[in-house]
Amino acid sequence: MESDKLLILGIYDNPDKTYTATKKLIAGGYEIFDVYSPFAIHGLDRVMGIKRTRLSIAAFVFAMTGLSLALIFMIYTSYFDWQINVGGKPSLHIPTYIPITFELGILFTAIGMVTCFFIVNRMFWGKNADIMDIRVTDDLFVVAVDVKKSKADIGMLNQMLIDNGAIEVRERIKEV
Amino acid sequence: MSYESPIRDQLVTGGKTYHDVSSDITRPLENAPTKSWWFGFSISSIVLAIWIGTTTYTMLVGIGAWGLNKTVGWAFDITNFVFWIGIGHAGTLISAVLLLFRQKWRMSINRSAEAMTIFAVVCAASFILSHMGRPWVAYWPIPLPNAFGTLWVNFNSPLVWDVFAISTYFTVSLIFWYCGLIPDIATVRDRAKTKMRKFWYGFFAMGWTGSTRTWHRYEVISLILAGISTPLVLSVHSIVSMDFATSLVPGWHTTIFPPYFVAGAIFSGFGMVLTLLVVAREVMGYKNYITTEHLDAMAKIVMVTGTMVGLAYITEFFVAAYSGMEYEQYAFFNRAFGPYWWAYWTMMSCNLLAPQVFWSRWARTTPWFLFIMSIIVNIGMWFERFVIIVTSLHRDFLPSSWTMYTPTLIEVSILIGSFGLFFFLFFLFIKFLPSINMAEIKSIMHVGSDDDHTHHTEHHDKPVTEKGAVHGV
Repeated sequence: MESDKLLILGIYDNPDKTYTATKKLIAGGYEIFDVYSPFAIHGLDRVMGIKRTRLSIAAFVFAMTGLSLALIFMIYTSYFDWQINVGGKPSLHIPTYIPITFELGILFTAIGMVTCFFIVNRMFWGKNADIMDIRVTDDLFVVAVDVKKSKADIGMLNQMLIDNGAIEVRERIKEV
Repeated sequence: MSYESPIRDQLVTGGKTYHDVSSDITRPLENAPTKSWWFGFSISSIVLAIWIGTTTYTMLVGIGAWGLNKTVGWAFDITNFVFWIGIGHAGTLISAVLLLFRQKWRMSINRSAEAMTIFAVVCAASFILSHMGRPWVAYWPIPLPNAFGTLWVNFNSPLVWDVFAISTYFTVSLIFWYCGLIPDIATVRDRAKTKMRKFWYGFFAMGWTGSTRTWHRYEVISLILAGISTPLVLSVHSIVSMDFATSLVPGWHTTIFPPYFVAGAIFSGFGMVLTLLVVAREVMGYKNYITTEHLDAMAKIVMVTGTMVGLAYITEFFVAAYSGMEYEQYAFFNRAFGPYWWAYWTMMSCNLLAPQVFWSRWARTTPWFLFIMSIIVNIGMWFERFVIIVTSLHRDFLPSSWTMYTPTLIEVSILIGSFGLFFFLFFLFIKFLPSINMAEIKSIMHVGSDDDHTHHTEHHDKPVTEKGAVHGV
């Protein structure tokens, strides 16, 4: 395919080396496709210039949706639709609606935000993982450099990856 | 001369590499179950069978099979419900509250504590269903348009709040747990040698690649889930306590119930976490991951929350005396010195007095002693709920209806059986899922790292103390 990407993978065995290598590559004007690691490396996302995800805004929107739907529903059912007389207590009594409103706010946030998380990552049950190296979920760290976008000379790039402590450098074609 | 104080000891001992972590933690998943696993699993299956039998019997016969009477309308059922819900709270506390406080020692225990939460809520829900007497109409508290001219549920009732609180708690805990599991399921997938394992772990790993973009979003949602679970866990037990506190029964109608119940829930939950982990680290060989420092930290929480609960017991007495209301005063006098005095003093000694031994470091770090203490805590917290429910009810407003409550064999069997249900699920969990969060554990290890904040002996020529402190840096 035309849009297939040629990636050069630098494989590291240490998060600190991965971090510095990524930093140096970016400083050297290379285009990092992605970095793969068995756990989150703190600060790496900022180095790579990943914008802060808007999932937290989504969470807030879902929370507000849950809160308002719960309130509207309770007010509608217990006041407008069918009032129940329980010991002469008022039918419309907002303070007693707070617990359920709160719980539904949390429920909507959790379900909505996590669903969005799966959608933006294109994750779903049964998806085939396109992993860079079988050990990337175990103990290896992979820095993938986009050759075309970096307009890189492969020889120089390889040397740079190795100079920064890569234990292995490999080519990889990623279907897009 | 300066002194660099250690925040905590090394959280993972034994000089493990990342690969060691993966192999150690996935060992039970990739190998045939050990004898001790089969032993535990068989026992819990037998006890589970008791639960199935007695619960089925109750549903066929009705709750007349229990020792309830017209004065004591709630007893073992609700005691067990509150007991199990309380147990569940430690899981959320460890994974959410301790995450917000950046307590890294939570990382090797949060997975199993969260699993415990889910299984404990399952046990608790089973008591709610069976105490209804007619579990086939259990959907009635859900506000559905119905055949009675759209007669909705009463949203002013704490029992309805409870339905929402418990189901939200279960759902959110499950989501939180599953999200935490995804990177680890991917690790198992990539190590898998059999087709079955490749397929199933691959299915649930949702195509996880370990990409930094995904990790970035993952960290954000973990933090938000922790942020919403923290008030959630506090609200759930507050609402459970309101089942009692919003009534007019002396001994229940108390404003300190919500914080008092939440502290008790955390206390009992940590008791159960200790019971499970002291055994698990021994049987599964996780001593390098769940170190005595972890036990020490948990024991401290047990002591603090136990003392908070004790303070609440004493406060209740003070408020009753101070209120000048004789019914309230009698309810509390009757608790301590009435026919159920033995239950009250069991509760007092297990929950307030016993945890005071944790002032000693020996007590906090000796596994066999902690195991015994955790059982004592569990017994004490079960009795706390029994005391609150039964002693408040059995001598009610009409002295002519005063009576005693005795559980039947069925009720006792359901209680014992619920432990079978809990441990049955727990044994399946440790066989099929990584019971320690590998990804998080790896992130706090310092394998050949140049990080200035680590206290590796080789980085300093100055003496390093046993606890990892460096003198004269």
